[in-house]
Amino acid sequence: MLSKQNLVTYTIALLFILSLNFFLPRMMPGDPLMAIYGDEALIAMTPELKAHLIERFALDKPLWQQLGAYFLALFQGDLGYSYYYNAPVSSVILGRLPWTLLLVGTSLVLSTMLGIILGIESGWRRGSKTDRAMLAGLMSLNGFPDFFLGMLLLIAFGVTWGIFPLAGALTPYSGLSGLALLFDVLRHLFLPVAALTLAHLTSGYLLTRNTMITVLKEPYMLTAKAKGLSQRVLKYRHAGRNSMLPVVTQTGIWVGRVVTGALFVELVFAYPGVGYLTYEALLARDYPIIQGVFLMVAISVLVANFLIDLSYPKLDPRVSYAY
Amino acid sequence: MHIDLKKEIKESGPGKTGLFILLLMVAMALLAPVIAPYNPYQQSTTSLLPPSLSHWLGTNHVGQDIWSRLVFGARTSLLVGFGVGILSTLLGTIFGVSAALVGGLYEKVLMRIVDAFIVIPMIIVIILISAYIRPSILTLILFLSLLSWQGGARIMRAQALSLKERGNVAAAKSFGASHFYIAWRHVVPDLGPILLVDFIYGVRRAVFMEAGLAFLGITDPTVVSWGMMMRDALSFSYLNVWQWWLVPTGVALSLTIIGLTFVGHAAEPVIEPRLRGAEVA
Repeated sequence: MLSKQNLVTYTIALLFILSLNFFLPRMMPGDPLMAIYGDEALIAMTPELKAHLIERFALDKPLWQQLGAYFLALFQGDLGYSYYYNAPVSSVILGRLPWTLLLVGTSLVLSTMLGIILGIESGWRRGSKTDRAMLAGLMSLNGFPDFFLGMLLLIAFGVTWGIFPLAGALTPYSGLSGLALLFDVLRHLFLPVAALTLAHLTSGYLLTRNTMITVLKEPYMLTAKAKGLSQRVLKYRHAGRNSMLPVVTQTGIWVGRVVTGALFVELVFAYPGVGYLTYEALLARDYPIIQGVFLMVAISVLVANFLIDLSYPKLDPRVSYAY
Repeated sequence: MHIDLKKEIKESGPGKTGLFILLLMVAMALLAPVIAPYNPYQQSTTSLLPPSLSHWLGTNHVGQDIWSRLVFGARTSLLVGFGVGILSTLLGTIFGVSAALVGGLYEKVLMRIVDAFIVIPMIIVIILISAYIRPSILTLILFLSLLSWQGGARIMRAQALSLKERGNVAAAKSFGASHFYIAWRHVVPDLGPILLVDFIYGVRRAVFMEAGLAFLGITDPTVVSWGMMMRDALSFSYLNVWQWWLVPTGVALSLTIIGLTFVGHAAEPVIEPRLRGAEVA
């Protein structure tokens, strides 16, 4: 739904993100160059480099010109330079991004699908023993922070039983290719994905179950039952499909949660994605990377939300009349 | 509000369990100096000891007593949790109710800002800020509150909008009551149970966040917290120390969050009455 309201919301969010990135380092006491570039840069700093950087950020000019320089660089896709990695921030992040996308994408799909199915089954049997057990079980699961789940899985399946690798996304220097490589990637992916999926299963489950309970009271369910439809059709096609709608609207917010969840899980498994990069950058006080990650993650979450808003009326035509 | 919150929680099995867990944790936090046998910050040369009668959960890598740290860690978690819960519910009520009562441009602008903040992932913002400003417990409470009142404000506004149409408000208006008077005397008292649900979920979110941030190393290094203990334990996951170092800490944290989830869920029919009778647990 591309309403004016939503556009304003996303514009405000974007402005907040950009201004936080712009003003925060410049408001710090001391040399702004230091706050923008971090300790690492000072070691590598020559007078020429310093002069170049001051010019690049227009640091000797008034604030509004600095702002102009900032936006100009941003539009050119220039997120700055990391002296810690000795590479442009954008290429450092892009190098890590595929792993995070793989991790987040797989977990998001798995946790949403599993959550919906469990929610439908649980809501269908509402009030029964199975339903109550599932509800209590999944709500308890929800209490486990993703990094704790990750560490438990790591210790059980990695350290104790040695079924899955302990760290990383690939076996280093293995020279694998083709199917063997794919298998290696999946083996490394398994535990982080399991941790993230388990940690984020509950929101989808609870939401589907709640909607399921209200949907089951609808008159059309009675009609469908009276037509003598099979239980499977009633459960999944009539009740289930309608219970999925609120889940779709929430997926946008979950994208944000799963991405931040990935940050912790990547740290536990030393999985070389954007989250682990952030952790390393925090340790090294590599400000350009932290800023770059912040900008990319925040904007991706905004875009994901925006796309879901767009797709929603296609799933539920009633929405387009509501505005 | 014709739903009795106390009854709602008492009648739900998980609700009672949750309340019990929470009271236990609060008691642990309040009585920490009495329960803990050692000073949680006292280092010693006897590091990585297994559990024994003198050290119930052994000692960590710098020889601190893990059980004492666990007990004192409850203080940090609950302090941040309740601090953020109170502050963000307060902010949510102020902005939500004022938006509903004042209306007009004020409401429009405020609600767009609220929506914008709901989409931005909070943890990422805090990570960025704390890269520049090392948070103390107090500033952490402040940051978390400023970033987490928005969801509550939405619910509060929706509720206040319907309360606004009631007879008592119309009567008060006809006597020339101010917005503030109406909010204070006629709207906020009727928000009661919703405030509590918002507060419980606010506490839960903050406990979660505090632990996660401490796990990333974003915390006051001089104050013991569960997230920090788990981060320390992670570096020793190849030893068997996780059994009495990582697991009890993680379980304490998870139990606290589960307790809050159960109480919050039991109280949820207050917001969504259609869910009533959904589980006769």
